[in-house]
Amino acid sequence: MSDRFSSRWGLVLATLGMAVGTGNIWRFPRIVATNGGGSFLVAWVVFLILWSVPLMMVEFSFGKHTRSGTVGAFVRMAGKKFAWMGGWVALCATAIMFYYSVVAGWCLRYLAASATGGLAGADPAEVWTSFTSSYEPMVVHALALGLGVSVCWFGVRGIEGVAKVLIPTLFVLVVVLAIRAVTLPGAELGLEFLFKPDWSALSDVNIWLQALTQNAWDTGAGWGLILTYAIYMRAREDVPLNAFMIGFGNNSVSLLAGIMVLCTVFALDPGAASEIVGAGNEGLTFVWMPQLFAQMPAGGLFMTLFFLGLSFAALTSLISMIELATRVLIDAGFQRKQALLTIAGAGLIFGLPSARSLDFFHNQDWVWGVGLMLSGLFFAIAARRFGLEKLRREVINGEGADLEVGRWWTFLIAVVVPIEAVVLMVWWLWQARTWDPDWLNPLGVANVGTVLAQFALALTVLLLLNRWLARRVAGSGENAS
Amino acid sequence: MSGLAILMMVLIPGLIWGGFLYLLSRAIRSESSKREVGDAG
Repeated sequence: MSDRFSSRWGLVLATLGMAVGTGNIWRFPRIVATNGGGSFLVAWVVFLILWSVPLMMVEFSFGKHTRSGTVGAFVRMAGKKFAWMGGWVALCATAIMFYYSVVAGWCLRYLAASATGGLAGADPAEVWTSFTSSYEPMVVHALALGLGVSVCWFGVRGIEGVAKVLIPTLFVLVVVLAIRAVTLPGAELGLEFLFKPDWSALSDVNIWLQALTQNAWDTGAGWGLILTYAIYMRAREDVPLNAFMIGFGNNSVSLLAGIMVLCTVFALDPGAASEIVGAGNEGLTFVWMPQLFAQMPAGGLFMTLFFLGLSFAALTSLISMIELATRVLIDAGFQRKQALLTIAGAGLIFGLPSARSLDFFHNQDWVWGVGLMLSGLFFAIAARRFGLEKLRREVINGEGADLEVGRWWTFLIAVVVPIEAVVLMVWWLWQARTWDPDWLNPLGVANVGTVLAQFALALTVLLLLNRWLARRVAGSGENAS
Repeated sequence: MSGLAILMMVLIPGLIWGGFLYLLSRAIRSESSKREVGDAG
């Protein structure tokens, strides 16, 4: 197979691009601010080791060993009866891709507006409302999807080439914005808010579960995306050091984003801090941040840099989701261009409801966000089926490994990760009972019923198609029998 | 700022950013040693 990353740095940058997304920039600062600041950070570091890094090693090893997309990899690692689990992982990431291109479109639209001065002097809340109720989100959704598809058109070379430019630039942008934020008068209030621990909060189980959730959603571990990029690893490529590096690199960006957002908020509008961090992802990013930048010297420039960074983060993550879906179709016998056109068509159509309706967008974000926890559990089950010690010794610690991973990894994947996944799903669904009085209504926006209905439909279809799925990918990968 | 906040401000970024830079430097060293072995071979 000639379709490989040209170097380790190509793989690392592309995978960092996958991991660093809008969740690092618009979700992390809000969650840390509303969950105990420094205490949350302790729990967040713990779960980087107890969830993200071990699962990243599983994904890297699956991709490297099987050279197949999610369905083929699950068949080869766990057996033909487990094709549906690989199908679930693919479905989850693809369903997220459908609405994530809408998010990437919003970022591009705000980048253009801030660069051309379109946000200057306007009321951001009004701009956001009029934008989301217009046809424009559909146009920018198509634009973002088109950009992502055009990168994947050139295969791994396209992905690597884009990552090598966008990711270092994104790091520089986030550092510049964080430095600007901490040098604003009053920024120390934001730092205090971010880092000051409330030790009593550590006895609150919700803080720990929020920290675990943040790791599950923003590192990309257990999504199948790392597995997809690992297909293109060089033969003698390291697994464990790369997994640690991606995890720590991703969380480094989150920390910088937390400093950038909270210092900006506390320096420019400390009285409204609670309202701002409670305004939700879109409220913080598209309504409050433009208002805050407008109060800053050279605010137009920094606002443009902010939306440029956000657009880069969104696009590099979107590219990985498109590649995941494309790779599954290639394994099923499609040519790359044929697969990409199919994914582009599906993405365009199935993303439209999210572009038209924020309720639909929030519904999909909620359902497939919970679905990712099930994906993480499926990876742990498949790794166990293959043999955890065999996987650790032969693949993770195999040829090219720069670190030797001990039995702690086996214990984490065998016991800790499955418990985390189950507890997390139950906890989110239990909480969701209180969000909607009609909590079992399958047509609700964010409740238990909509998750159970969509999960039941997807799992039933995947289980019914299991044999067909396993047959379709039978010839894929290098270790195909 | 309180002393505790300053301590955490050193510890958490030290661990995350320091950890990332340490891992990156290990990867760079590993790649350059692999290249040297390749060149010698």
